[in-house]
Amino acid sequence: MKITFPHMGNMYVPIKVLLDTVGIKYVIPPLNTKETIELGVINSPEFACLPFKAILGDLVYGLKNGADFILFGGGSGQCRFGYYGDLLSEIIKNLNYDVKFVCLETTNITINGVLKKISPLTKDKSAFGLVKAILFAVKTVFLVDKLNRIAAYTRCREIKKGETDKIISKFHSKVQKHYGYSEIKSIIKSTKKQLRAISVDRKLKPLKIGIVGEIYIASHPSTNFEIEQKLGNMGVEVHNHLGISKWIFNHFIRNNLPIKKKDKFLSAGREFVNTDDIGGHGIQTVGASIFCARKKYDGVIQIYPFTCMPEIIAQSILSEVQKKYNIPIMTLIVDELTGEEGYKTRLEAFVDMLEMRKSKAYNQLYIDI
Amino acid sequence: MVTIGIPNGLFYYEYSSMWKEFFEKLGLHVLISQDTNKRTMDTGVKYCNNETCLPVKIFHGHVASLKDKADYIFIPRYHSTSKDEYTCPQICGLPDMTAANLGCKHKILEAKINMDVHPEETKESLIEMAKTLKIRPSKVIEAFYEVYDKYLQSKTEENITDLKRVDVNKGKLLLLGHPYMIYDNYLSMRLIEKLKKRNIEVFTPKDFTHEIKRKNAYPFQGKKFWNIGFELLGSAFTSVKDKKVKGIIYLSPFACGLDAFIMEFIELRIKAKCRNVPMLKLTVDEHTGEGGFDTRLEAFIDMIGV
Ligand code: SF4
Repeated sequence: MKITFPHMGNMYVPIKVLLDTVGIKYVIPPLNTKETIELGVINSPEFACLPFKAILGDLVYGLKNGADFILFGGGSGQCRFGYYGDLLSEIIKNLNYDVKFVCLETTNITINGVLKKISPLTKDKSAFGLVKAILFAVKTVFLVDKLNRIAAYTRCREIKKGETDKIISKFHSKVQKHYGYSEIKSIIKSTKKQLRAISVDRKLKPLKIGIVGEIYIASHPSTNFEIEQKLGNMGVEVHNHLGISKWIFNHFIRNNLPIKKKDKFLSAGREFVNTDDIGGHGIQTVGASIFCARKKYDGVIQIYPFTCMPEIIAQSILSEVQKKYNIPIMTLIVDELTGEEGYKTRLEAFVDMLEMRKSKAYNQLYIDI
Repeated sequence: MVTIGIPNGLFYYEYSSMWKEFFEKLGLHVLISQDTNKRTMDTGVKYCNNETCLPVKIFHGHVASLKDKADYIFIPRYHSTSKDEYTCPQICGLPDMTAANLGCKHKILEAKINMDVHPEETKESLIEMAKTLKIRPSKVIEAFYEVYDKYLQSKTEENITDLKRVDVNKGKLLLLGHPYMIYDNYLSMRLIEKLKKRNIEVFTPKDFTHEIKRKNAYPFQGKKFWNIGFELLGSAFTSVKDKKVKGIIYLSPFACGLDAFIMEFIELRIKAKCRNVPMLKLTVDEHTGEGGFDTRLEAFIDMIGV
């Protein structure tokens, strides 16, 4: 059996570690290609959201390249994400692939539940190996996350522009050529070293922008036109509040903890929303924006896929947040037709505006004294 | 006397009499906004982000028209309508969204309906409402359960139209869509009336029993799904069993996220399992002209020959 899975940001690195360790064969769809997105678009309903199309594209690519097992994490409730699994499996069935489609319910995940569902893949593997693999994968999630944070720090401060990006792209091509936890761990380690060696301007006080919005788009570079890289290279320090590690924490670890702590963004968002759940991460988007304002960020960018309903509500509410907390918020909506040039221009204009605002605030301070 | 404004959009199409009766029982004056018209739409469009779906924009138009005439505007928060049945995120966030877009938070009265996991929220929200209206909470709660029980009762009794009830000579069509699409004369451009004029028997989800729709709502039988999804999938797969049903018309507003999925489920299933019933997808946005709409409709009717 050969498994395939969709990309989401850097998630493929820990998944690869997991599968390598257990000894399951797999097909990884290429990162960042037009080809996979197009495969998704032609097989999806027109008004499905971009994450759905991108995910379907990855899966169809995997099937075309020999995979016969799909493991997918779904949910339930109000957001369409809850029904991705069902629709994906219906569409794929209709394309006549001989494939086993297993859907994991991620809103309430338990280790036992997962093990049972994936038993066709693991029946001849040892339980000890499985547990080891899961632990390795979880560790990798946090290692990769750290790498990203260092990159966000160096990218906007590096003296020679483009150094960070070069190292990161080398990292990805190396990961794809190596196997297992120890090899990948050592790649992460050496990448970390290289990033730390970049010469940076430590005195620089860059603009700080928080990214909020729909989690898949916000954390998947090929669908957000590498927003973190673009902003970083404009000299902006980017704080993405939708790291995959956080998502994993919320969905996998918290559910297995005895005490449930309330999400801090959710509590902050409750100021404007009189309920705990409107589907997706709409309330968290509002809460994270308030958090950015309180932490004195210079601006917030909300990014979401066209027709994403929870984020449309959040967008309406963000105009209130903007007024009350005096922080500029820009909304970017993407779909498969979004042009990169226009998108870049909007980012640049927003950054220019924030620069002006900052220097004005600074001058004002000067005059007041 | 305190006047409660009820917007004539979205939830109103399903629950109109229930809420009207509820407020009247409390001895309040109820004002319902006019049927949707061009003004409602234009005002609504002005207040909303472009990405918002058309029915929600129109809903804003209804609220705006009541803003100065009523003391409070009633916007219920339908979260889940019964066990395992959920609503669209935009319906669930409706009170917050309209409050933000129209700047009228202080005027909005809210009742929460979250039957799947938090049925107790209804009572809590009714107590809040009682405080705002300065009415005894027990009276409000009692009034609610009276009208709610009546609503549930009517759901089990009503409809049960027998598919075979009709004239054998008449062609049959199934019309699908959200109630606030197909029964809003402005949004649907009087579609039902037009079909009836052509001597076509039109079925809508109202014509099938609650149970049969749940039973046939492939692939969600016994699972969690959107409430409207059960209605539409169930009606589609029930009616295609009848050979006399010649086609399906699915009326959908531009950018409705739910319809995108539900429609696909229907199409895939019909293609794979049932006889090939033709389906016309009519999408309406604020620029749709009636001429083009009618032409497409007529072409479809000619094609399926009803
Ligand atoms: S179900 Fe569709 S039309 Fe209705 S509110 Fe949601 S997005 Fe709008």
